[in-house]
Amino acid sequence: MKKIVTEAKLLLIGIPVAIWTLLPIYNLFIFSISTKNEAFSGKLWPDHPTLRNFEIVFREEHHFLGHFWRQLGNSLVIAIAVGLLTLLVATTAAFAISRLKVRGGRVVLNCALLTYFIPAAFLAVPMYKAMGTYGLLNNQWSLILAMVTIASPYAIWVLKQASDKLPFELDEAARMDGASPMQLFRLVYLPLMAPSLVAVGTYALLLAWNEYLYAFLLLSSERDITLGVALGNFLAADDSPWELLMTTGLLYALPPAAIYYTFKRYMVGGLTAGAVKS
Amino acid sequence: MASVSFKNIEKSFGTTKVIHGIGFDIVDGEFVVLVGPSGCGKSTLLRMLAGLEEITGGTIAIDGRVVNDVESKDRDIAMVFQSYALYPHMTVADNMAFSLKLRKADAAMIAERVNRASKILNLDPYLKRFPRELSGGQRQRVAMGRAIVRDPKVFLFDEPLSNLDAKLRVAMRAEIKALHQRLKTTTVYVTHDQVEAMTMADRIVVMHDGRIEQIGTPLDLYDKPGNLFVAQFIGSPAMNVVNGTVRRATGRAHVEAAGAQWPLDGGPGADGQAVTYGIRPEHLTLAGSGGVPGEIIVVEPTGAETELLIKVGEEQVILRTHGRPHVNPDEKVHLTVDPANVHLFDRGTGARLTA
Repeated sequence: MKKIVTEAKLLLIGIPVAIWTLLPIYNLFIFSISTKNEAFSGKLWPDHPTLRNFEIVFREEHHFLGHFWRQLGNSLVIAIAVGLLTLLVATTAAFAISRLKVRGGRVVLNCALLTYFIPAAFLAVPMYKAMGTYGLLNNQWSLILAMVTIASPYAIWVLKQASDKLPFELDEAARMDGASPMQLFRLVYLPLMAPSLVAVGTYALLLAWNEYLYAFLLLSSERDITLGVALGNFLAADDSPWELLMTTGLLYALPPAAIYYTFKRYMVGGLTAGAVKS
Repeated sequence: MASVSFKNIEKSFGTTKVIHGIGFDIVDGEFVVLVGPSGCGKSTLLRMLAGLEEITGGTIAIDGRVVNDVESKDRDIAMVFQSYALYPHMTVADNMAFSLKLRKADAAMIAERVNRASKILNLDPYLKRFPRELSGGQRQRVAMGRAIVRDPKVFLFDEPLSNLDAKLRVAMRAEIKALHQRLKTTTVYVTHDQVEAMTMADRIVVMHDGRIEQIGTPLDLYDKPGNLFVAQFIGSPAMNVVNGTVRRATGRAHVEAAGAQWPLDGGPGADGQAVTYGIRPEHLTLAGSGGVPGEIIVVEPTGAETELLIKVGEEQVILRTHGRPHVNPDEKVHLTVDPANVHLFDRGTGARLTA
C-alpha cells in the first residue's frame, strides 16, 4: 500500500514534468511533418503528414538552407575539436596539479573557479576584440579557442577532483617500478581516468555544439557559421519558413541526444564523482 | 642482495622534526623489522630508503653506495605497499611484468620471470585476472610477485598485512617468511604489530618518537628489554609493571609496591631506589600461601593457556599459565615470582638497571 502511494506521488509529479518537457519537442516534430499551410492550424496531428520538409533540408532547396550540410559539418568539427582540446588542456592540468603536485597548482585551481563568477556574456565583447587582435575573426579557430577557454576551468576542476580519488600509492608504485612522469600519465593515469575523461569530453563537446552567442559573434560568413547560428538567421526574414526551421532544429537536436544516451552512464558517474570533495 | 646502512638520518616536515638522527646497519640477506606505535617514524624511514621521501639529514647507503640523490627506480629496490597498489586496469600478469616492460626487458625474459614468480606464489591460475577479481590474500601475493620479478637488491614491506583478516594475516606471515628463506633477499619490513615483528624478524628495530629504542634479535628484546618502552611494547600480553622502592636493608631483598613485597635477587637496584618492577605474565605463578597477595578479577581460558587478571593493591597484573587453574572471580590468591625473571627499570629514565 505504502509503495503504491509513493508511486502515485511520483507519477503525479512525473507526468506534468514529462508533458512540460516533451511539449516543445512534440511541437517541433509536428511542424517538421506538416506542410507550410497546415503548420499553424493548431491541430494535434496534421491531416496530411509529409516528409517533404526533410527532403528540402537534405537537398538544401531553400535559400536559408543553402549550406545545410556544410554548417552541420562546421558544428561537428568545432564541437569535436573543442571536446578534444579541452580534454588535452584539462587532463594535463589536472594531472600536474593532482598527481605531480606542482607548485602553484592550488592557485590555478582557485583562479579556474573564479572565472565562473564572470558570466560568459560579459566576456563576449572582450573575446571578440581579442580574436580581432589575433586576426582570427571569421576563422573557426576563434570559436574553438573561445569555447575551450570557457570549458576548461570547469573541466580542470572536475578532473582534479576525480584524480584526487586515485590512490597516491599507485603513483609511488609506478615510480618505483621505473615509470617516468610521462609513462605514469600514459600507462596508469589515463586508463584509470577514462570514465571521467568521457564525461568531461562530452560536456565540452555539447557545450560547443549548443553555443550560440560566441558562434554568432566570432563567425559571419555563411560558409563558416555553425548550424545553430544558421537556425537563428531563419528569423531574419518576415515570413520565416517555420516548418523548415523546426525540421532543421529537430535534426540539430539529434546528435547531442544520441551522444548523451551513449555516454549517459559516464556523464552521471563522471560528473558527480568530482562534484563533492570527500 | 645487498647491505643497507643508515647514518645519522634525520627527517623534518616543515619545522616538525619527525626522525632524530637514526643510524644502524643491515647485513646482506637479513630480515629486519621496523616496529613501533603509529607516528614513530618507521614508515617515513622506509619511504626514505625507497626514495619516496626526501632525506633531510644523514645518508642512506645500499651496498656501500650512498643513494640520497638516486631516484627510486635506480635504487634497485622493490616495495610492497599496505594497500597493495596494484594497477586496477592490468591483469595479474601485466601487473607483475610492468616494471620489466618499462625497463624494456625482452619478452622471453619477462615471461620467464613472471612465470617463476607466479610458481613461487601459486598465482598461476590467476594470471589473466584483474585485481578486482582477487581476494585480499591473492592481491597481497600479486604485490609480492611484482616485487619478486624485479629481482631487486632489497625488498621493502610497508605494513603489508594490516588490510587482511586475522587468520589470513597469520598465513601470509608464514608465506613471507618462507619466501625470504627461499630467496634470501635483504628485507626491511615495517609493522606496528609486535607479534609480526617477533615471528618474522632476524633483527627488530624498535622505534618510538623518531628514535631507536633498541635493536636486537626478537628473543634478545623479549628477555632483556633495554628500557621500559621496549619492555611494554614487546610481548603480548604486555609485561606487568608496578612502581615501587627497593628494600635491601632488612630481611629478604624486595621491591615495595602496590602494598605488597615483590621478591628480588642479588641483582641491580640499591636500597631505597625508586624503580619500576617488571615481570612477564608467564613468570607469575599461583601459590597456596605466601608471596604477593591478590584478588582474581577475570579468568580468560583460551584452551592452551589461561590468563588471569589479578588485582594487587591498586594495581592490576596478568598471569599466564599453561594449566587450567580452578579459580573464580573475587577469589583471594597468592602469586609467586621467580626473582631471576624480574626486570628492573629506573623510575626516572625508564632505562634497564643492570648489575
